[in-house]
Amino acid sequence: MIEVRGLEKRYGNTIVFADLDVVVHDGDVVSIIGSSGAGKSTLLRCLNLMEHPTSGQIIIDGEDILSKDTDIQHIRQKVGMVFQTFNLFDHLNVLDNVTLGPMKLLGLSRKEAEAQGMKLLQLVGLANRAAFFPDELSGGQKQRVAITRSLAMKPKILLLDEPTSALDPTMTSEVVGVIRRLAKDGMTMVIATHEMSLARTVSTSVIFMDQGRICEVGSPEDIFEHPRNECTKAFIHRTRSFNFTVSNRDFDMYRLRAGIEAFCDKHFLPAELRDKVVLLIEETLSICFDGEAGERRDMIMRAGSGMDIRIDYIEANHDIGAVLRCNAELGNPLEQDDDNDGISRMIIEGLADITEECCDDGGQKITMILKATTNGQA
Amino acid sequence: MTLEQQEGVLRLTGRLDTITAKDFSRDIEQFIPDSGDLRIDCGGLEYVSSAGLRVLLLVQKTLMAKGGKLILQGMKPEVRNVFDMTGFSNILTLI
Repeated sequence: MIEVRGLEKRYGNTIVFADLDVVVHDGDVVSIIGSSGAGKSTLLRCLNLMEHPTSGQIIIDGEDILSKDTDIQHIRQKVGMVFQTFNLFDHLNVLDNVTLGPMKLLGLSRKEAEAQGMKLLQLVGLANRAAFFPDELSGGQKQRVAITRSLAMKPKILLLDEPTSALDPTMTSEVVGVIRRLAKDGMTMVIATHEMSLARTVSTSVIFMDQGRICEVGSPEDIFEHPRNECTKAFIHRTRSFNFTVSNRDFDMYRLRAGIEAFCDKHFLPAELRDKVVLLIEETLSICFDGEAGERRDMIMRAGSGMDIRIDYIEANHDIGAVLRCNAELGNPLEQDDDNDGISRMIIEGLADITEECCDDGGQKITMILKATTNGQA
Repeated sequence: MTLEQQEGVLRLTGRLDTITAKDFSRDIEQFIPDSGDLRIDCGGLEYVSSAGLRVLLLVQKTLMAKGGKLILQGMKPEVRNVFDMTGFSNILTLI
């Protein structure tokens, strides 16, 4: 069992992660997902002491591995590591790669180590490659050898750092097959991965990390089907966002338009869709600053309460829309004076499906998703 | 946004939005006839928002007061869509 309590890692003033609490029970398969730079790999490297955390505790089977008396070699025997880039010894053949550790560190004879090695190579489907050198193997085969090499040390826990990131889809499936087999056999594993299908199908629990924090922990179904945290939702649905704040009625429309256009171009959205997003925002702001209600909103914003606008593009289903967040004082920016001509509202309703929600802080959240067009894209 | 008379045809090109609507309102005045219709070629119109529609509505009212009407021709489908969703397709003459 691994218990991580209040773990923090920083390089100088740069915090990689902080306040991490993780529990991995025997037989668990825990996947850590999140964007690059979230701290996933560094956490794994701390778990087998390749990196030393700045503060906090890591307790493995009741032993605080950060204590001064810790035998690092013993910990690394107990906690095996598989790397994204395999890290095989190129001058040794497959069987020698697998037997070196057990002979040097576990005291096995060559005969014993080779017997065990062949058995494990059989398990990962590579017994017929025992005499091959790493250069003669595909990426998927190399990674299976790397997993075998870790297993040969009889670890209690296996850490896998992006085990499929360097592989094409066919090779990924070979490696995922091996990991799935290990999970079925009850191997305790912690996997940092970008491979969502791996995390979804192999794990007993999934941790979502963002910017050095654990945002959400749950079963694969919780995380992939019903994520609660906004950051998790954005990651799972592959949401790309563009944010800006409007702080008064004299906002820079040129700049705003250029920002939205650059965002849409970056994600290869067609010009028609890009113009719809610009139109949606232009009409929203037209209502927001119209008439007496607009005067009031302008005054409130100038006093320091801007309106946050976020454009979201969800890659998973190609939805695109805008989310407006206003505090309680500002109220609903789409509420109009009675004498408003209603043209802007008609355009907004023609372009988008609107959801208006009251937030816990008394503010408003308005979500506007562009309606689908005949080409299937929003 | 540009509004130019070319070979006897008044052409509106570019974007008619919050930023350009004021200029359009000023520029169109010189082309409003004393009587009869005003025809604008909108083939080069890339974008229109409510700010542009409001100016077009004012032009239509001015023309109607003189017994004429505003005729917009050659509009792109995505621009025409904005006229449709606001009911302006029924107020103005689109061909």
